[in-house]
Amino acid sequence: MQLKDKVAIVTGASKGIGKAIALLLASQGAKIVVNFATEKMLAEEVVKKIGHNQALAFAAHVEKPDEVASMIRETLKHWGRIDILINNAGIINDKFLMVMTDDEWQKVIDVNLTGVFNCCRAVAKQMVAQKSGKIVNISSTAAVRGLLGQANYAASKAGLEGLTKAFAKEMSHYNIYINSIAPGFIESDRVAELREDIKRDYLRLIPMERFGLPEEVAQVALFLVTEAASYIQGQTIMVDGGITV
Amino acid sequence: MNIDQIKERLKKMLVDKLRLKRTLESIKDNEPLFREGLGLDSIDSLEIVVLIEREFDLSISADELKDTAKIFKDVQSLADFVALLLTKK
Repeated sequence: MQLKDKVAIVTGASKGIGKAIALLLASQGAKIVVNFATEKMLAEEVVKKIGHNQALAFAAHVEKPDEVASMIRETLKHWGRIDILINNAGIINDKFLMVMTDDEWQKVIDVNLTGVFNCCRAVAKQMVAQKSGKIVNISSTAAVRGLLGQANYAASKAGLEGLTKAFAKEMSHYNIYINSIAPGFIESDRVAELREDIKRDYLRLIPMERFGLPEEVAQVALFLVTEAASYIQGQTIMVDGGITV
Repeated sequence: MNIDQIKERLKKMLVDKLRLKRTLESIKDNEPLFREGLGLDSIDSLEIVVLIEREFDLSISADELKDTAKIFKDVQSLADFVALLLTKK
């Protein structure tokens, strides 16, 4: 039980990578705040799977600072500390830049980048007071590859990686670690919906010739929040089957 | 300009400017523009926007292109879109 007595907030934890991370951290003893924006039933299922004494679901749109502040207050009220923050909540809204609306640009930046800023800022005081903390930001290989139709998403994830480095420098003095993980193509609802020919096109790009699993990303998140990663700071770890090699 | 005239101009525009190896007569109104239909790639939709602006003297905003899947479905949907923009002109 590497995370016994630790308290973790996982944003966007009702499904996919967030859910896998929540379940894995919980299996190591951490108490988990299962954050969700709209999918309450799915979040409740994750809480049920972990156990009600070890997890709670909390609705908060990460792009809204007041809702994030409520989530932090509720976490402290329940468990009195915050050891781990996993910034996983994110959205996509693909469109070619030339025809992308202001809203389509801004909403993705708001959730994927400003949301991370909001959550980092909200937990920072508590972690500084504790003189400890681990933050893992979920980026994407899009940050370095800039996929077609993803100007908004790629920019948000590249911004997140810049934030990770700057915040890591600010927080190192307080024994607070901030790193990010950049998953490549991971099995998800979105991948499942892709046409077979497009899936084949994607698979051709991946040296390992398969999509990743949410659990494979979760293992890296677990590593980053344990003492095993005690000299890793401000980094981005690619979990992409070699697509960026 | 009626809808049939718009469709004819669009077909000619696609064949001439996007170098489709098709005759105007062979292009069906409901034939998908992309992939197995006319063989265009989604990235060609950007050039189609620019071509429509020039062909019909329109200025198309990103907000008007929100539902791209519907607009760029086939020649008919493209013509309906152009007709709508022409009424606003």
